[in-house]
Amino acid sequence: MNTIILSAVFGVVLMLSGIFIENKSAFKNIAAVALAILLSLNIAESYGFQIFRINTGVFLHFSKFGFLFNSICLGATLLYTILSGRDIENVGNHVAEYFALIFFVLCGVGIVTAYTNLLMLFIGIEIISIPLYILTGSDKRNLKGNEASLKYFLMGSFSTGIMLMGIALLYGTNGSFSVDRVSREMMPLTYLEALGLILIFVSLSFKVSAAPFHFWTPDVYDGAPTVFTSFMATIVKVAGFAAFIRLFESRYGNMGGQTDRLIAVVIVLTLAFGNLTAVFQQSVKRMLAYSSIAQAGFMMFAVYAVNDAAKEGLLLYAASYCLATIAIFAVLVKMEDYSFEGFNGFAKSEPLLAGVLVVCLLSLAGIPLTSGFLAKYYMLSAAIKTGQVGLLVVLAVLFAAVSVYYYFRVIQAMYFKEGNVVYPAVSVSYKFTLVFIAALIIALGIFPNLLLQFLYF
Amino acid sequence: MSIIQILFWFLSALALMGALMVVLSKNPVHSVLWLIVVFFAISGHYVLLNAQFLAIVNLIVYAGAIMVLFLFVIMLMNLNSETEPQKNNMLKIAGAISGGSLMLIMIDVVSSASDIAGKSALVKEGNIGLIKYLGKSLFNEYVIPFEISSILFLSAMVGAVVLGKKGEAKAV
Repeated sequence: MNTIILSAVFGVVLMLSGIFIENKSAFKNIAAVALAILLSLNIAESYGFQIFRINTGVFLHFSKFGFLFNSICLGATLLYTILSGRDIENVGNHVAEYFALIFFVLCGVGIVTAYTNLLMLFIGIEIISIPLYILTGSDKRNLKGNEASLKYFLMGSFSTGIMLMGIALLYGTNGSFSVDRVSREMMPLTYLEALGLILIFVSLSFKVSAAPFHFWTPDVYDGAPTVFTSFMATIVKVAGFAAFIRLFESRYGNMGGQTDRLIAVVIVLTLAFGNLTAVFQQSVKRMLAYSSIAQAGFMMFAVYAVNDAAKEGLLLYAASYCLATIAIFAVLVKMEDYSFEGFNGFAKSEPLLAGVLVVCLLSLAGIPLTSGFLAKYYMLSAAIKTGQVGLLVVLAVLFAAVSVYYYFRVIQAMYFKEGNVVYPAVSVSYKFTLVFIAALIIALGIFPNLLLQFLYF
Repeated sequence: MSIIQILFWFLSALALMGALMVVLSKNPVHSVLWLIVVFFAISGHYVLLNAQFLAIVNLIVYAGAIMVLFLFVIMLMNLNSETEPQKNNMLKIAGAISGGSLMLIMIDVVSSASDIAGKSALVKEGNIGLIKYLGKSLFNEYVIPFEISSILFLSAMVGAVVLGKKGEAKAV
């Protein structure tokens, strides 16, 4: 509850501080401090320290998994603010409001990691989505951004409508909004329930951009200001998976043949669309958009398997994917040229940043010794533990091999091609944070228990 | 047939016809007007289900406020058949097939759902739909979602101001 209430409060504080503070660069410092407070209070709450004692009853249930997931999201946002805070200032005039909206999103993340009630799922998903529509269109002079924002808004509200329909049907069958385990757990789904569940599934798949509901992703991620693309592609996307896994681990988990096939089809389609289309992209930003679809395919394995290994895997995946993508975007946003050619000769002019990028790209591709490898490994092993795998895992590994191609194109451009990259001077703290992220990725790749131990204590 | 059943069938037919006309009308202004008919029919259903307050709110908010907004937007955009985008025939067929199969499934599901039978709403008695009872459950049982939704509205308001405010011209 600390996270939910305090992030909303900090959002309001930031929003109002916009009236009094003229200096634009102050906001990112306020935001960073607020995020550090949020993060430490969230960790404290997982050890039992609550500021607010509110009986949340049937609406929210706070678990270790939820706390750890929140910690990952808050930590990632903290790093994101430190790295990209200055670029947020360059987007437009309403810096305080942008940060406020980011805090509101975090409040939504706190809700979707803890909900036990479909009403809260709906409110949480909406609190996450609505600020994003605005952040997408925050650069008002950019026509492409406006188009992306409108497109995202229309499609997003349509998918919200589908979710509401699903919730209504589930309410119709159960007479309650609760998703808690009940005695009829292993009963086959009734028709009405199945239809409602499918509609919610469709809507959530849209939010995490799983194929075939991914068509908005490349346009929106490409059109949005790059700093906010970074936020959308990482923290918001993994929060969608937290919502997903909570829905499926509760009443609707382990339905066996009733849901497996549907999820398996979605996984394969997502992996195929994401990886194969990413191969043909000319712009790194667009490639990262498709890569985020491909990574979503891997995260869907957690929804497929829904066991302890899947939850561990999702946490590790969320951490490694967020860290790597945030770092890549933080470097990309300062580039003049977003195409692959723009990276030609980057290693010569900025050897340190190029080195960090290599670690991040290797992690996204899933090369051993990086956390990305272990994350993929946990996901696949979770799927294997369900017993009925074969083709699905083989396909996933094949598509991961495809992904190596487009991630390595960036590395190739940086190290093996001649070119002149004009890169703006960056501060020491920026470089230090990037190196810290790279170190974290490698550390998690060798000792995943650094993170996962917090799930069991 | 009792009067309730007659009303139910009448309102259902009205709602379905209105909804069809919304989709089929060539003129967008007519579509909006038909949508108002749909809302009235649905409000009638609410009254039949003993949800008087919802019925009135539905009329005030949807048929009143939101539809006026729709009409203004459509009139400002000055839509007519010439500005209508050309739609691919393949897309139309694909849409008809997928939408049609979803409709078939829904009809089948709703008509074969044995678990709804016997769970009918209170039709004749009870004042559960009055605002007093709605307020009571909103502020007791459902107080947490109610409070948290304020964050949702706040973020939407912040967004409206951020997007709508002038002054971006003085580039940074």
